[in-house]
Amino acid sequence: MARYGMALDYKSCINCKACESACKEENGILLGADKHRIWVGVKDIEGIFPDLSISSSGFEPSQCQQCDNAPCQTVCPTNATYYDDNGVVRVNPEQCILCTYCMEACPYDARYIDDRTMTVDKCNFCSDTRLINGETTTACQATCPTKVRIFGDLDDPESEISLVLRARDHHSMKEHLGTKPKLFYLT
Amino acid sequence: MKTELSRRRFLQGTVALSIVGATAAATALAKTEHKSKSKIVDFGLTKTQWSDKLEEIPTLCEMCVNKCAAIARVEDGVLTKLNPNPLFPKSRNMLCARGNAGIQALEDPDRLKYPLIRVGERGEGKFKRVTWDEANEYIKDKMVKIIDEEKDNRSTIGYCAGEGMAEHTYASFMGDKIGSLNYVNHGSICLATTIAGYTLTLGGYGQADLENADYVIMAGANRAEAIVTPDTMDMFKRTKGRGLKMVVVDPRFTNTAAHADTWLPIEVGTDLAFVLAMTHVVMTEERYNKRFCEENLSDFEAYKKHIIDKNYTPEWAQAITGIKADDIRETARDFMAHAPRAIYYQGRRTAWSLQDYQLRRAQAIFSAMGGGIDKKGGIIFGKKLPLGEHSIPSPMYDNALERIEKSKAASIGNSGSWIAWRNTIIDGTAPYPVRAFFAYKQNPMLSIPNTAKTKQMLEKMDLVVVIDTMPSDTVMMADVVLPESLYLEREDPVKSFGGAEPSIALRIPVVEARYDTKPVIEIMRDLGEKLSKPLFEISKKYDESLQEEIEERGEKEVYKEEGYDLADGYRHSQETINHHMVSSVYGEEAWKTLREKGVFYPDMSKYFKKVSANEYEYYPEHKKSYSIIKGDLNNEPYHDTCVDINEIAVLKKKFRTATKKIACALYNFEKRKGVDAMPTWRSELYKETPEGRFKFITGRHGQFTQSGSSNNALLLDLLPENYLWINQRIADAKGIKFGDTVEVRSSIGAIEIKAYPTEKIGKNVVFFIHGFGAESSELTLAHHRGANDNAIIEDVYETTFGSAAMHETIVDIRRV
Ligand code: SF4
Ligand code: SF4
Ligand code: SF4
Repeated sequence: MARYGMALDYKSCINCKACESACKEENGILLGADKHRIWVGVKDIEGIFPDLSISSSGFEPSQCQQCDNAPCQTVCPTNATYYDDNGVVRVNPEQCILCTYCMEACPYDARYIDDRTMTVDKCNFCSDTRLINGETTTACQATCPTKVRIFGDLDDPESEISLVLRARDHHSMKEHLGTKPKLFYLT
Repeated sequence: MKTELSRRRFLQGTVALSIVGATAAATALAKTEHKSKSKIVDFGLTKTQWSDKLEEIPTLCEMCVNKCAAIARVEDGVLTKLNPNPLFPKSRNMLCARGNAGIQALEDPDRLKYPLIRVGERGEGKFKRVTWDEANEYIKDKMVKIIDEEKDNRSTIGYCAGEGMAEHTYASFMGDKIGSLNYVNHGSICLATTIAGYTLTLGGYGQADLENADYVIMAGANRAEAIVTPDTMDMFKRTKGRGLKMVVVDPRFTNTAAHADTWLPIEVGTDLAFVLAMTHVVMTEERYNKRFCEENLSDFEAYKKHIIDKNYTPEWAQAITGIKADDIRETARDFMAHAPRAIYYQGRRTAWSLQDYQLRRAQAIFSAMGGGIDKKGGIIFGKKLPLGEHSIPSPMYDNALERIEKSKAASIGNSGSWIAWRNTIIDGTAPYPVRAFFAYKQNPMLSIPNTAKTKQMLEKMDLVVVIDTMPSDTVMMADVVLPESLYLEREDPVKSFGGAEPSIALRIPVVEARYDTKPVIEIMRDLGEKLSKPLFEISKKYDESLQEEIEERGEKEVYKEEGYDLADGYRHSQETINHHMVSSVYGEEAWKTLREKGVFYPDMSKYFKKVSANEYEYYPEHKKSYSIIKGDLNNEPYHDTCVDINEIAVLKKKFRTATKKIACALYNFEKRKGVDAMPTWRSELYKETPEGRFKFITGRHGQFTQSGSSNNALLLDLLPENYLWINQRIADAKGIKFGDTVEVRSSIGAIEIKAYPTEKIGKNVVFFIHGFGAESSELTLAHHRGANDNAIIEDVYETTFGSAAMHETIVDIRRV
């Protein structure tokens, strides 16, 4: 069985939001800026014109980190949030009771409420729209102009993501929390 | 960098302009109760299902001008997703946010759905639904009257077009068939000066080979937000210390600047001084590629003397540009150290200043001094795959007079000077009246500086016909509205895309047209059928050459042979024409491939390789067309073992200019038209910004294409309105806080807009994105959202090509 993760060459990100749009179109996310599975973090630039610090600026694409040790899963009272066999943290809309514990527990703020399915939803690596049909990439990876995203099987030592993680420095977000994210930021 | 921004911080809107205010607007949008439906409209945001009736149809995006290749996923006849098509070298397997939002363009309830004829006052927005025949009949009656009264002067019909694959179909009907010389297109509000400057200097505009360049100066070009393919994709994978060194010269800190090694904020309108000073540095320090210059630049010594005599020193430029002399020196040296893989990026919407043409000339010469022309990693011309011919006989009209604004600039070409043309109509200096106006895919009410004057121009017309997909502000001024099918519903003329990796790509319909709309070729055909006979009768009355011809050869034959049958050439379907254009050159198999895959080039099946999930190879390295200009390898007098002869491009090339060399001086242009032969700073053409006031600049955005996508529900989620960038300290002093409404007033008008105080812009400049501020009440989402830049941009143009100078407007800011 595969164990899916994503490496992000985040220095290439230009904050174009193609990923966010593709995700909405693929997964039928409702309109509204507060309804999205993907977003891009932008830091306020430091300095005063004209002496701005370029290095303080930059873009950091983000989404559910697909934690191996997911706080959202631990707190879910109905087991609506569960680990799929391929490591993807999934939400079962049938079981979700909108208690929003997971929203509070998630240290990455990855969750939002889908008013249509009445689920506290989040990124699932396009599990039910692409992976299930044999696609090997996510909508966000496919569409990204500067090719920030590498999606793949962490258990396959020959997969592109495994190769890249062996070859290049990377970090995960809030590593100290012990959530063991499967999103890796390449430096 | 570890920013670790969360969704909530993101939503608080403390960060980039593109997201400020998103929450409130978005919630409103999600609940938009559209007037045409009683339920909440989801604008086509449905989950993909992968039903059994799944079709994947390749096509080309038209949400902006880039034409990226897409694969439409159509399930049970419903378009559920647009994915990138990896086969197209130009778009390199990507679709941007706008490309993805094509579905919302298709699903937009406000689209033009059937032909309309105005019933209220012009501009009031009151129309009645009519049939195509009724619409064409109306146009015919008006045109017959006008052309008869103007004694067959076909140029009395003015027409404009925006950029698009069918632009030529429309323009050739209006120009070649109807016979009017009064055409204005997007060139003079976009990149006319750059095209002209580079073509006269280098023999072509070329393409910046950013995939292989080591160094690039991006001046005013914002490729992170104003996406251009493949430039955007090629650049940003290698910025930030990863191979491509980038200097961004821009009055504001853009998303492109965020990727720069150096950001040089420059005083608006002074780029020419910056380039001249860099030229001075490399001339005096002899840092240019001497052999390349000697072999390939004409009048180089004269230019050198000119630069040195004029004393364009970095210190001189510092006083004008605000860029430190040392930074100018360092940039110039660094550029030449990286040459020939160094590019002064040409730019696109370059209609900035009164000195714009000379700026582009100076850039081109500076780039050439490094030798990086027709060279991998420099500016390349590439190859273009030829297509078959589709020629249409067109009549010659004796009485069609020269375009009206011909004398308003040194050289006004066939695509005109929009501002000069319009102003000539309204100020009464036109040699004859222009009485009818056709617009296709352009929205001059929002796209041409000085909206009030465009309105005035349209009000003067006896007939206004607009062909579009959305009820734009210009549509509101129309007498007759002819709805075009959306790009996802139509086939367009096949197009060949040149470059190092040339290809041919095709736009075909992915869904059936859902309303009573037509592609342009059919709109032209129907008009042709209607107009041919009656207009021919008018020519017979006034056109002496035609009368003679008829006497000699008989009416029937002349009508047919000389192209007076206006629908001739438009009767075949676009598919039939495309088929011929492709198969006549590459055979049936090629045509089949193109239709099935959306893209074709010779040996595609052999060359195209998937290297990884994100990387594709289109041509093997030795098959890429980087250097295409023929020349002689003249290395004898220069024998030097230290340099790789090919790397420094000592080839004496035959460039496509008049002299076959890169032109430092254009003496003929000076003699005949009084245009400076060599780039010269003209201080009388530069207006300093008075204390306490601001220069206004405009620009583009990655989630918004001009006014064309202003009603797109998904894109408005990402960028709900435009904001005024104003320096933080200036804003503080004026008591302006984020989100406050401010008035921006110029000599021609005033707008109100919300403020975005930031240190990313200087104290004497303000900025907002172009394309917002629609007045049309038929655009439910775009109506009165944000501000229209052209309501305040003064209608000044440079006098070489008549190109708009959009960054010459001084404004005052006031909190309201
Ligand atoms: S699509 Fe790619 S470049 Fe654009 S915002 Fe997303 S990650 Fe960044
Ligand atoms: S990022 Fe948040 S939502 Fe995603 S698995 Fe981790 S805790 Fe759960
Ligand atoms: S850049 Fe974006 S909008 Fe433009 S053609 Fe490509 S995908 Fe479409």
